[in-house]
Amino acid sequence: QEVTLRLSHWVPATIAPAAAGIEPWARSVEEASDGRIEIQIFPAQQIGAAPDHYDMARDGIADITWVNPGYTAGRFPIFSLVEVPFHVTDSVQGAKAIHEWYAQYVEDEMSEVKFCVMHPHAPGALHSKEPMRVPSDIEGKNIRPAHATMARFVSQLGGAPVQVPAPEVREAISRGTADAVTFPWGAMYDFNLTNETDHHLDMPFYLSMQVMVLNPDSYAGLSDENKAVLDEHCSPEWSAEIAKGWAEDDMSARERLMEDDSQTFYQPTEEEVALWQDSAQGVLDAWKEEVADRGHDADAIYDSYIEHLERYGIRY
Amino acid sequence: MSNEVVAFAGFAALFALMILRVPIGIAMGLVGIGGFGAIVGMKPALNLLAQSPIRTVTDFNLTLIPFFILMGVLATNSGMSRELFRTGRAWLGSFKGGLGLASVGACAGFAAICGSSVATAATMTKIAYPEMKRAGYPDDAATGIVAAGGTLGILIPPSVVLAVYGFITEQDVGVLFVAGVVPGLLAVLMYMATVRIAYGATLPAGEPFTLREALASLRGVWAVILLFAAVVLSIYLGIVTATEAAAAGAFLTAVIGFLRGRLTLSTLMSSLVEALRTSVAIYTILIGAILFGYFLAITRVPQELTTFLTELGLGRYGTLLLILLVFMILGMFLDAMAMIILMVPIVFPVILELGFDPIWFGVIIVMTVELGLITPPVGMNVYVINSIASRVSLPTIFKGVLPFVLADVLRLILLIAFPALVLFLPGSME
Amino acid sequence: MQSHSLADRVIRWVERIAGATLGLVTVLIVISSLGRYGFAKPVPDAFDLSRLILGVAIMWGFASLGYRGSHIKVDILAQAVPRGVLRVMNSIAWSVLLIFTALLVWKIFGRVVNAQAGGDATMDLRLPHWPFFAAIWAGLVAALFTTAWRLWLIAVRGRDLDDFESIDDLIREGEARE
Ligand code: NA
Ligand code: NA
Repeated sequence: QEVTLRLSHWVPATIAPAAAGIEPWARSVEEASDGRIEIQIFPAQQIGAAPDHYDMARDGIADITWVNPGYTAGRFPIFSLVEVPFHVTDSVQGAKAIHEWYAQYVEDEMSEVKFCVMHPHAPGALHSKEPMRVPSDIEGKNIRPAHATMARFVSQLGGAPVQVPAPEVREAISRGTADAVTFPWGAMYDFNLTNETDHHLDMPFYLSMQVMVLNPDSYAGLSDENKAVLDEHCSPEWSAEIAKGWAEDDMSARERLMEDDSQTFYQPTEEEVALWQDSAQGVLDAWKEEVADRGHDADAIYDSYIEHLERYGIRY
Repeated sequence: MSNEVVAFAGFAALFALMILRVPIGIAMGLVGIGGFGAIVGMKPALNLLAQSPIRTVTDFNLTLIPFFILMGVLATNSGMSRELFRTGRAWLGSFKGGLGLASVGACAGFAAICGSSVATAATMTKIAYPEMKRAGYPDDAATGIVAAGGTLGILIPPSVVLAVYGFITEQDVGVLFVAGVVPGLLAVLMYMATVRIAYGATLPAGEPFTLREALASLRGVWAVILLFAAVVLSIYLGIVTATEAAAAGAFLTAVIGFLRGRLTLSTLMSSLVEALRTSVAIYTILIGAILFGYFLAITRVPQELTTFLTELGLGRYGTLLLILLVFMILGMFLDAMAMIILMVPIVFPVILELGFDPIWFGVIIVMTVELGLITPPVGMNVYVINSIASRVSLPTIFKGVLPFVLADVLRLILLIAFPALVLFLPGSME
Repeated sequence: MQSHSLADRVIRWVERIAGATLGLVTVLIVISSLGRYGFAKPVPDAFDLSRLILGVAIMWGFASLGYRGSHIKVDILAQAVPRGVLRVMNSIAWSVLLIFTALLVWKIFGRVVNAQAGGDATMDLRLPHWPFFAAIWAGLVAALFTTAWRLWLIAVRGRDLDDFESIDDLIREGEARE
């Protein structure tokens, strides 16, 4: 069976998650199918807005989409546990661990699509104009959060979350709309921020997770041998594989920033790390409440999450 | 049917619907859905309607469009546009063709507080056309001047078209606005020169200059100057974002109107309604153009065009000229906003690859689509003037505007040859 | 003529509410930026609220344009044809608009239901999206009626599109009638 699948995502084709994650995955599917499957990639919101990508796969607007569940607050409550800060130290092993953990609940939250792989960027950090070292430094400051969970975290610490799209972060910082931003390391260069936020709190602050999903009918319509190729590419191992390219890009950006004299890094002490982790308790509680409200056993889900992180030795 | 054929059929259907007076946005939206359906399937195509239009009307980055429209409407309803014309006439009216010069000047002043070309043309037609008519100006000259002057609306900041360009290419809208200032001033000078060169001989001279009237006229325009300065300087100095400047600008215009006793609750309400109507007309085009854009993307014709363009081997300027030529030709048939949404994603990667500055290209491309506003058969400024001055036929207006089209082309060449004219001001922002 | 003036009056109220909503969003953004720069205290959810409320205003405005016929369109052929042909043309054009509006009403209803079931919410306050989407949908339902009304005026009464003067005239005319 010869088949063309359309894959839609919302970042420029040249940046790391696309060029070193999605693209190699798609080419590997094509190769493994001996050319029976062709994957056409539509980057940069060409056929739909970023926050609509889950619905686009559900509705068959594209066969495969790359989704940031963090863009739609309230839609995927269990999933948003991965957005609670200070839990994960490594994104490649993290992708695998979290894939295995979330696979247990995918039917509860993403039953309308076929779940394939998921992967974060390397743990993101806090980048600011003025030094920020402890949770109380957030108070009274405007912070551009990565997603809804970080927004809640900022509010709980007495800061003000400022919502602006990623490409406008530089503008927002330079105009004083925001004092700091939570971003992956690579974004410092992708969005030209090194002149604006030159203080970096060097700790694995938070994750933002992307998920690749398939339209169920598109998958069901495949021949058995084509299905087998996709099954093989929708695995915890492939989650880690996709995470690798982005993580390398982030970590090399971090190296580059460290070597740059104009940039200031701060390594929090053990006590400060403990302060940060305690400060996130409120976000975790809010998460538990929200998940319990939807009729799930929040503690069991959380315990399973921790267990998976520990199994791969990546709990922060 | 191959994808190329579907794309071509889509354009044919679009033009057929448009000529039948189907609203442009609706024609694009329907053909977009139909075309997407022909390639992907009708069910998913219809599902685009569940997501895309709602996403467009609730997009934060587009909220500055209604604000900059509202600012212009409030300015008109509190008498500012009339004052602009009075000032222009007091200072320039004594020259031969002075009312024409005054009209261009008033258009420029109004453009500085209004984001839309069509609104600028409509407003100034109501004020300047009757005056020129009374002074014995021929219809083609009188309407041509306001049609061309109206295009300043999207070049001189604020500009909704530049904002949409920034939205699509992820460029800083504030920087784009600042980049529009010098080309805008150049346009004013060249339009005034055009009035003199093309029509000067046929136009009557105005009343004699009196210093008293000239100085008195200045008392009225402080509000416009203050508003323009507040909006553009606060963006230039990096105090606020473009969206915040837009909201604040509209708000301030209303406050000034109330303080001067020129606005009442009832005129405020009618201004809000008028701004809303104009904004909805623009949003309808945005909704349709985005849907049509999804259809084009799914045919992969744009991607192939991009590759084709880069592989032609025309060199930097050869490729640029080809792109501008395509924009000019399509601009004759398509709406300015729709062109930006449909065509910019196609050519933007090429422009970057050729090493052109994206801010500079934004200004260049806005000037190119601006041409489309005054060229037949689809020239929005000409239509709107025709709907106000309905005794002047469309061909007469198109004829009157022709010398200004030549001025536009000349200005385009100047700014391509000297990109610094566009870039030095935004370059000084940091 | 009685029913006609009733339609006018209804539309005018719809427009006033939508216009006031636009004013509200303007003030909201001004207050939010004052709060942010002046007091380091932005209005919670100003970002989501302003865009969602503006969406509601725009879609209610869509109802107004469907009635007034003031959508942006190409008039060049319309000006060249005789009155009878124009009537047919306008009828076709407004039928197409009616179809598009009907499709929107259908599909966006689904979006409202999905947003309600899916729990979509704003970033800060976690206010549900669906009431805003429902208000947007209601605007489209209104547009369905107003567009159909205009189509009837065109086809049966032989009226043109855009046969209105500026808003000032409308208000004066309205006041004179009341
Ligand atoms: Na302007
Ligand atoms: Na044109």
